Amino acid sequence: MKVIRAAVDEMWSVMGQMTSAVFRHGLPMTDKIAARTALTNFVLHIHPVRVRRSWIRMSYTLCLGGLSFFLFIVLTVTGLYLMFYYVPSTQHAYQDMRDLQFVVTFGGLIRNMHRWAAHAMVITVWLHMARVFLTGAYKKPREFNWGIGTLLLLITLLLSFTGYLLPWDQLSIWAVTVGTNMAKYAPIAGPYTRYLMLGGTAVGDATLLRFYVMHVVGLPLVGFLLMVVHFWRVRKDGFSGGL
Amino acid sequence: MATEATDRIAARQRVEARRRQVEASTTIRDDSEDEMIVSFPEFIFKEFIAAVAMTAFLVVVSIVLQAPLLGQANPGVTPNPSKAPWYFLGLQELLSRFPPLMAGVAFPTFVIVLMILVPFLDRNPSRRPSERKVAIILFALYMAIVVALVIIGTFFRGHEFIWNWGWVLGNPQTCGGAAC
Ligand code: HEM
Repeated sequence: MKVIRAAVDEMWSVMGQMTSAVFRHGLPMTDKIAARTALTNFVLHIHPVRVRRSWIRMSYTLCLGGLSFFLFIVLTVTGLYLMFYYVPSTQHAYQDMRDLQFVVTFGGLIRNMHRWAAHAMVITVWLHMARVFLTGAYKKPREFNWGIGTLLLLITLLLSFTGYLLPWDQLSIWAVTVGTNMAKYAPIAGPYTRYLMLGGTAVGDATLLRFYVMHVVGLPLVGFLLMVVHFWRVRKDGFSGGL
Repeated sequence: MATEATDRIAARQRVEARRRQVEASTTIRDDSEDEMIVSFPEFIFKEFIAAVAMTAFLVVVSIVLQAPLLGQANPGVTPNPSKAPWYFLGLQELLSRFPPLMAGVAFPTFVIVLMILVPFLDRNPSRRPSERKVAIILFALYMAIVVALVIIGTFFRGHEFIWNWGWVLGNPQTCGGAAC
């Protein structure tokens, strides 16, 4: 009996230690504890400790920036799952997509979530831009962050576009053929740009690999770094405030 | 007695006062008297709810709606029409109407540069909607044009990218844009 009691006590104290290693303070019963909680926990740390009630009214941001970021995280997680099963070669890609759809556990669901989240992100980022414009939040001192935002919009579109090719079905190669054809009209650089994007003169194996690498490493990395700067600037410029 | 601590508090208050002075002209209305609250838990909780709602929405949509997967890519068979993803259909629409150099290169570059320059071109310091009617009308026009072009590209463009009402009325063998 005594041994069991001691073991249970020990377990509680270890669990307590684990919990307090992550959540370094108890429930914030006072403002002071709440402020300290925010300073010592990363998730809370990227938020301001104090905000005005009017700033966090959902009717101001409509959550659009936050949702864009959340969708980026959803896309990262579901994308990792897809990567376990997907080989970026013209021989395997299409069959891998069919396997994901029909064989892999939750493969169809995860693929659908990745696809719809990508469409949703294009929409939320676009609407976030509209919110920022309509509230005039790009004005001094936030000009720079608006510029970063514009780049984020481009990255979001390019991420969607590079992902579009990967299923290697009739929809994807022809959509990408049409898309990359636009590049070739640029004076002088046009044909070279297209060649660089495709890794050849037509959409093929090299294109699939290039789009894949940009889709899973290049663009997400640049996008993530830009987001870090974007959020940091939101904090440094001060949030533009409520209506 | 001015200790280091009181000095620091006074300095902070000066910074805060200056911030408010600057801020007063950059917020839509003066919010310096609005109630200050600690972000945790109320603000964090709101974000959490938004994330959970979005996840639930995505799961439901993904169960109901199957993402498209057509036949395997075949470089020898060009579907007609060939369409870009929906967010590029506006560009494709312009390409079908204007010289490619203008529609495919000059115009998008112009729009991107213009967007980055917006905060410097808009000389009006006010953020009140009633005092920036021109900016809001121009932006609404821009949004309306983009949305219209995407809708046209998705639903009103058929064989050879020629105008086709059949897309709206239902065309049995074909499907348009990303909705396939
Ligand atoms: C991947 C894309 C993006 C993400 C994840 C993102 C995220 C965020 C977040 C979380 C905020 C805090 C306030 C809010 O939620 O509204 C914010 C603010 C801001 N964003 Fe973005 N954003 C993105 C794209 C853009 C774009 C396309 C623009 C404009 C062209 C932009 C311009 C701004 C500006 C100026 C602010 C400060 C607004 C203020 O203080 O009211 N962002 N962004």
